[in-house]
Amino acid sequence: MDKLLITRGVQRSPFWKFILWILPWAMLLAWGLYGAYLCLAEGLNQTNMDNRFAFGLWIYLDLTVIAFGAGAFFTGFLLYILKRHELKSVINSAVVLGLICYSGAIVVLMVDVGQPLRAWFTFWHPNVHSMLTEVTFCLTLYLTVLILEYAPIVMKNRQIRKVPSYLVFEFNLHKLMVVFAGVGAFLSFFHQGSLGGLYGVLRGRPFAFREDLGIWPSTFFLFVLSAMAAGPSFVLLTTWLVEKLSKKRLVKRETMSYLGKLSGVMLIIYILFKSVDTLIWINSTSPSSGFPAFEYYDRAAFGTWVLFAEVVLFGLLPALVLLRKKLRERMVWLIPSAVFVLAGVALNRFVLTIQTLALPTLVFDEFLSYMPSWQEVATFSMVIAYGVLLYSLSFRYLHLFPQERELTQPY
Amino acid sequence: MLPWVYEFRWDAGHIIFLGVFFSVLIIIASTLMRALMRAIGDFKNRRVDHVMWEVAFEDLPEPARACRHQLSGEVAHRTCPNEFDCRDCVSHELFLRANPVPPAGTGPQAPEEEQLFGLSFPLDRYYDRGHTWVKPAADGTLLVGLNDLGTRLLGSVENIQLPEIGSTMHVHGTAWQVSTRGADTRILSPVEGTVVDVGGPGKEWYLKVRPEGNGDALRHLLRGAEIKPWLTRELERLQFALSEDGVGMSLADGGVPVEDLPRSAPKADWDAVWGEMFLEA
Repeated sequence: MDKLLITRGVQRSPFWKFILWILPWAMLLAWGLYGAYLCLAEGLNQTNMDNRFAFGLWIYLDLTVIAFGAGAFFTGFLLYILKRHELKSVINSAVVLGLICYSGAIVVLMVDVGQPLRAWFTFWHPNVHSMLTEVTFCLTLYLTVLILEYAPIVMKNRQIRKVPSYLVFEFNLHKLMVVFAGVGAFLSFFHQGSLGGLYGVLRGRPFAFREDLGIWPSTFFLFVLSAMAAGPSFVLLTTWLVEKLSKKRLVKRETMSYLGKLSGVMLIIYILFKSVDTLIWINSTSPSSGFPAFEYYDRAAFGTWVLFAEVVLFGLLPALVLLRKKLRERMVWLIPSAVFVLAGVALNRFVLTIQTLALPTLVFDEFLSYMPSWQEVATFSMVIAYGVLLYSLSFRYLHLFPQERELTQPY
Repeated sequence: MLPWVYEFRWDAGHIIFLGVFFSVLIIIASTLMRALMRAIGDFKNRRVDHVMWEVAFEDLPEPARACRHQLSGEVAHRTCPNEFDCRDCVSHELFLRANPVPPAGTGPQAPEEEQLFGLSFPLDRYYDRGHTWVKPAADGTLLVGLNDLGTRLLGSVENIQLPEIGSTMHVHGTAWQVSTRGADTRILSPVEGTVVDVGGPGKEWYLKVRPEGNGDALRHLLRGAEIKPWLTRELERLQFALSEDGVGMSLADGGVPVEDLPRSAPKADWDAVWGEMFLEA
């Protein structure tokens, strides 16, 4: 039965090996579900967050996975709208990754906000001036788009495609994918931006507060740009990991290199804007609110090394490597650079979520520290386990990499 | 006031924000409906076979989609843009003008039986890329059969599902299905028309079809001098399909495919080989 579900002409590990692979992840998922259940049933007292430290591990996870998941909209935009056909070989994988990231983020948000049965309130009582409302609306709609983009991949499963109505519907849905790609790009622009804007409007947190560019703070645009840099790197790194684990060539090396180039180009633009933004913040925004910027970096945990790591080590350095064709064509440079890009974006989200809240803003405030509870860690792990499981199942039973057969059997 | 949004007010914030939200929602819903309506239209217009083949063709590896004129050496590289249906292909017309291929059975070698690599490929008939042949009969019908390589690829078939007499065939729709070694394989129909009689594995032909349309009914099929280069490529594809991952072509040259290939190589992944050779994703 298992073999009959696998795409013809591709080789997958024996079923027992697959079960051995998913078993620990399934156990991790079960542990995470229990942690999430406790948080939903008992309340947020199960966490180590409080009124002062209202954002913790979960929001950090949300911001990071949503940035990593940007590969779905960016790849879709480049393929279906700008007609970069070389990305056809990774679009299915990018969609699965996007779906995992966004659905995982929404699940964790529901645990964080609590009262999931009242989730519809946000649509019924929208505060149209809130960045969070924009995020909620865009995330919901974009998740719908991702499900619609994932559906054709599922409908092309070897057994499902035998039902003519599914295949004919898939065919017609796929023909209209350009609309979903456009809508996805539009929604992603706003919610990636709004997540950044969320911090930029915190006037009471001068570490995060930024001046407006138009109607949005600069962090709005920095989040969009950094997500566009992280997305291709995440697709690239995942593809490479799956290749290593499955011991198969899945995409052509040129495509990997092209993904690296995309990341490099977006990253250098992001680093340029980020540097200008940081200089303006150091010299103008922060002092005008009564805080010399370098006071923020006096704390033991968050020295200037954080800024250096974010901008230079995980920013400028991988960008320069990825922009050089000779370097990015060699895996030994390409893969570590992709890891650095993702580390930089993850660090940026960490800094904005955790460092912003840890730093004192009033004279009687103290530097706060926060360590997530096991329930928070379990819920975090639940999303990771869910992602690995969904991707593993998709890789085994769906045709994620169209070039796989061709690369396995070189003509 | 919008009845579905509580506390809605006619101010710029509400109008812009909710306007954009509902516009996006309408675009998503209408696109989904459009796909659904088109799918219903395909069923009504009996385009299901065509759609299923188009999807399968799209999923084939690029080398398997090579144009017939690439195989015959007329062009260095060309992927077929028409799902192997050359009837309306402008480029095919131009290639034919430059290098005419006479109709099957009318060339200088006809009607001798051509032996290629130990396989029998008579020149009095036309060949489809899905390993079927078509032979025009005197009464205006078309006889459809499985070519020699296709027959050897399947070996002894356990079960066969032939279409009912009177059913309609579409080019590259399903002609018949075979089941063997726990796998189902569909054989592509090489022609369009109505089934007037059915044969089977033990007989000379599988189907007798009354063709539809004009005289272009066989234009997309290979014939004469086109057969040898195509068959050479097919044997290469077979060797790759039978080889281990990444090994490439490693079988000794000069052999002849045996009568029942699956029986002689029982450990091979025949499900994958049949998918590859019979153009099924």
